Amino acid sequence: MDAKLKETILNPIFKGNPITVLVLGICSSLAVTVTLKGALVMALSVIVVTGVSSLILSLLRNTIPGRVRIIVQLVVVAMMVILVDQVLKSFEATYAIDKQLSVYIGLIITNCIVMGRIEAFALGNKPWPSFLDGVANGAGYGLILLIVAFFRELLGSGTLFGYDVLGWMGYVPNNLVILPPMALILLGCIVWVQRSIQKDLQEK
Amino acid sequence: MNTNSNLYTVIYTTLIVVVVAAVLAVVSQSLKGRQEANEKADTISQMMTAAGFGSKEEFGKIGNAAVLARYAEEIDRAFVVGPDGQKVADLPLEKVYSPSELKKQNYNIKGADTPELPVFIFKNGVTVVPVYGAGLWGPVWGYIAFEPGSNVIKGAYFDHESETAGLGAKIKDDPEFQHSFDGEMIDFAGVNPFDIVKGGAPKDEAGKSLVDNKIDAITGATMTSRGLENAIDVWMATYAKYFLAEVEDSSDDVNANDDVNGDDAKEVKED
Amino acid sequence: MEYLSLLVKSIFVDNMIFAYFLGMCSFLAVSKNVKTAAGLGLAVIFVLVVTLPINYLLNEYVLKPDALIEGVDLSFLSFIIFIAVIAAIVQIVEMVVEKYSPSLYASLGIFLPLIAVNCAILGGSLFMQQRDFAGLGEATVYALGSGLGWFLAIVSLAAIREKLQYSNVPAPLKGLGITCITVGLMGIAFMTFMGISL
Repeated sequence: MDAKLKETILNPIFKGNPITVLVLGICSSLAVTVTLKGALVMALSVIVVTGVSSLILSLLRNTIPGRVRIIVQLVVVAMMVILVDQVLKSFEATYAIDKQLSVYIGLIITNCIVMGRIEAFALGNKPWPSFLDGVANGAGYGLILLIVAFFRELLGSGTLFGYDVLGWMGYVPNNLVILPPMALILLGCIVWVQRSIQKDLQEK
Repeated sequence: MNTNSNLYTVIYTTLIVVVVAAVLAVVSQSLKGRQEANEKADTISQMMTAAGFGSKEEFGKIGNAAVLARYAEEIDRAFVVGPDGQKVADLPLEKVYSPSELKKQNYNIKGADTPELPVFIFKNGVTVVPVYGAGLWGPVWGYIAFEPGSNVIKGAYFDHESETAGLGAKIKDDPEFQHSFDGEMIDFAGVNPFDIVKGGAPKDEAGKSLVDNKIDAITGATMTSRGLENAIDVWMATYAKYFLAEVEDSSDDVNANDDVNGDDAKEVKED
Repeated sequence: MEYLSLLVKSIFVDNMIFAYFLGMCSFLAVSKNVKTAAGLGLAVIFVLVVTLPINYLLNEYVLKPDALIEGVDLSFLSFIIFIAVIAAIVQIVEMVVEKYSPSLYASLGIFLPLIAVNCAILGGSLFMQQRDFAGLGEATVYALGSGLGWFLAIVSLAAIREKLQYSNVPAPLKGLGITCITVGLMGIAFMTFMGISL
């Protein structure tokens, strides 16, 4: 059982990463990776939402009527997202970040990672493993977010977490890196690196 | 139990919706006060930044309570004027205009109703007024501070909802852009009160724009710059009558100072 | 005339995929060949055009501050209402299509559940709320334009991917990797439309 739980946690972070392997949750990952700070908050929000909504739906799994399954899932996920949004807005420290993420916080609802894991895992497993699966998938998503954000902030603004890293030596920020298409290209490169290492993931 | 019967489905869905709505209503009501306090402190620190009492980061660090206390210390009076330049009503000192209220006034300026134009005057005489308009992706707004009784800009602070980070978002994040407004003038009598142009403003050696009502646009953010310029133009044209009267008054005061002492002149102005 | 400019604008300038990057998951997953891509694209157009006006009316008469009861602001419910409407419509459409047009169901049906979680659909409703369209007509035209833009994007990507099969792509880059990069380059190309005001 322990080994299985460990697998549940570790698999989504590397081998079965939701973004680079399962191709889930790309939309939001492009928009929020301009700065590391935004990416970090988004990652934490997604971890909370996937973890808790997997837990709730796993508890409810035997009672949900089949025909309205998707609506029930969406309502629970939407509730979690609104809660996270409202809480972020209520604290002085996170208010400014919530302002920056506004629209994309809403789009966590339709982040396929959340729905995908609920369908594929939470509805068929006990609450505790479901919770861990949700958290681990959120973390795998967050990891990719942070890698992309690292390059975009470093090259696009010359800073990391808002602190000047390249600017002092006269680095001229590359505006192209800040635009969303570049995030996709970076993502392509991350996939390239990952699949060069894990050859079994390569597509024919 | 048959989880696929119609009755069960209907009852189950209703139950879920009611529970979720109840949870959300409770949370939203209980956090509303805190959210509004955050928004208000944010608005106040933007106005204080424009008026030159510190930087936005400093206000962010000292916390909401300290920002409100500082504002109460510095603010002198606030009131609403109409488009004819006449004062309509006094504002209570703790009242500020949040972006959603500015949005409403922006509709009014465009003809929906008579706009309420708030004016905030600090104890050192600096006057702060808001602007609001559309950027590239969403609304942009901000606060412009004027030197006492003149059309010379003392400082400005801008904010936005969803401009591109690193490009359009520079109207908020780039202090250099905001400081390029310092010392410029709004041409209240003219057709184009203010211009934000691409590389068009001639500069002196220090990089300061030589034309009084013209500054450089942000490279790579033409649409945001254009939107901001439009917001400033529209709002300043609406405020024009108030400021024209105000600037005239204070130049009268200067003349009056020749033969009357300063205290009297000040009283005349406050009347 | 205004409708026409809004339509063109929402297809090209504000393209859901290339300007906002919404609806990427199904965009990347279902673009292997032109025929299925077109099917999904049509389904997106259809669902957008049906749900956006409904959400517009809900926003106008229920969610906006003071809209339903004076002094009550229900806007915190907008996410949940929009998503519930979308999910419900998708499920109703699925049932209706299955019953009355089995052939259409055979070609569109499998995509319908995918669409409930397509960010472009919810994104459309959220943008609609943000932009305050003047009337039902504008909201509908915007929905049609956004849908057409999405359709156009996925069909062109699928066409490129069909051709890519004959190219010699490094093995680790095959599939997802090269698709991401292709979409990125298409996005840069689409940036020429950005900032055009109509």
